[in-house]
Amino acid sequence: MKKIKTIKVGERHYQVDMRGWMCPYPKYAVESLIRKLEDNNRMDMLVDCPSAPDDVPKVVKAMGGKVPEVSQVGSGEWRIVIVK
Amino acid sequence: MKRWTKVYDDIAIVFYRLVWRRAWPIWVGALALAFANIFMFAYARALGVFPQMAMWGSWVYNLLGIKVEAPFAAVPLTPPHLDIHSMIDFGIVFGVAIAALISEEFKIRKDDWQGYLAAIAGGVLMGFGTVLMPPCNVGGFYTATMALSLGGPVAALGLLLGGYVGGLFLKWQANQAANAVDFSAAPVGEPVKKAGASLQPYIGVAIGILLAIVAFIYFSLGKPKFTGLLLFGALFGIIFQRSRLCMAAAFREILVSRNGTVMKWILFSIAIGTVGFAILKSQGYQQMHFVFPAGLHTVVGGFIFGIGMVIAGGCGVGILWRSAEGYVRAWIALIAGALTSGSWVLIYGHRVGEGWLYGKPFSLGHQFGWFGGTALILLFLACFYILITYVEATKNEKN
Repeated sequence: MKKIKTIKVGERHYQVDMRGWMCPYPKYAVESLIRKLEDNNRMDMLVDCPSAPDDVPKVVKAMGGKVPEVSQVGSGEWRIVIVK
Repeated sequence: MKRWTKVYDDIAIVFYRLVWRRAWPIWVGALALAFANIFMFAYARALGVFPQMAMWGSWVYNLLGIKVEAPFAAVPLTPPHLDIHSMIDFGIVFGVAIAALISEEFKIRKDDWQGYLAAIAGGVLMGFGTVLMPPCNVGGFYTATMALSLGGPVAALGLLLGGYVGGLFLKWQANQAANAVDFSAAPVGEPVKKAGASLQPYIGVAIGILLAIVAFIYFSLGKPKFTGLLLFGALFGIIFQRSRLCMAAAFREILVSRNGTVMKWILFSIAIGTVGFAILKSQGYQQMHFVFPAGLHTVVGGFIFGIGMVIAGGCGVGILWRSAEGYVRAWIALIAGALTSGSWVLIYGHRVGEGWLYGKPFSLGHQFGWFGGTALILLFLACFYILITYVEATKNEKN
């Protein structure tokens, strides 16, 4: 099974790499990921599916999380900042 | 000079930033798609892509020395570059590539072996689905419904259920991977840094120039309709890429996420298209265009196609579109889909629509008149809309 690469990039701050996962995988996975994330922690999700920068924040917000920033980090790659 | 700077800025905002740099609102895509389909029908034919891809599959078999007819009578065996219908497919690839590059969204997106296996499975399922249904999600549901074919609404049932099954599988995979994530055990690492300026917009413009050259070559060879359909295809590609109006997602999300936003806009798009198609057809123009055989095979074919399109990552249009965005998974699904559907006459012994398997083409316009047929399609769209809204309401109750 393909793994979601996760690293710790700071205090209460993680980077979850979902590049290589086509849509709708990121928006399905974020539901479980946000449940696992502890309160007041931040998770930067990297995606390379062009629908995800729109889809993922909707799911996060519906679950009560915050998305302070979505930015393009490269050609066809985005970072979605998620705070619980 | 100041005035000219303002003129330049205003034009740049509309024609560069709004069109190429930001995703279009979904309703813009839905409207544009409906009108583009009406115009292309009035010009030559309506939107559908899989019969051409099936023909490419048969063409490859013949190249390899295996004699087989193309499965769809409307798209007979022809080298793809000389097939007028294939121009739409090529145009979509061009249009998506141009849009994805200019907006810096292109990337060669590799998958792992499981992803490629899913692509083969999805392609094979779509290959069988397209000849059973017929033809695909866009041709057999979206355009067929506009064309007042009973097959359109019937296919929706199969596609909805198939999309649900495929979606559950993807969701299960996503959950498996997400559950394996352990934040407390995550190794320390460096975050990804923003990349520098990209050359993609320039490559996108270059592909646009290439499209213009290819279009001009067909035109100067005395094939203006080839040019027209190639350019229409490119327009569809741009609309799909910029508005992210994904027909596979539309069916998938209704039951999996209990969210029917995309499908509701597609229903709105079909409603507009139906009026346009009915006006043209009622004047005696191509009255049986996109009216396909309807029967149990439509539901079963739609179900199989529905599963396939979701696990492959796109329906017929969807895999052309994702191929041009650089998804290797879509390339594999496209090859698997073409080779499967291209072998249909070898397996079944007849072409699509012939023999014991298929029902008769059923045109609501011919059975109930053009007003009556249009009213029935609008009634179907309204019922589907209510059903979706009902499913969405059950989600809100759960929360």
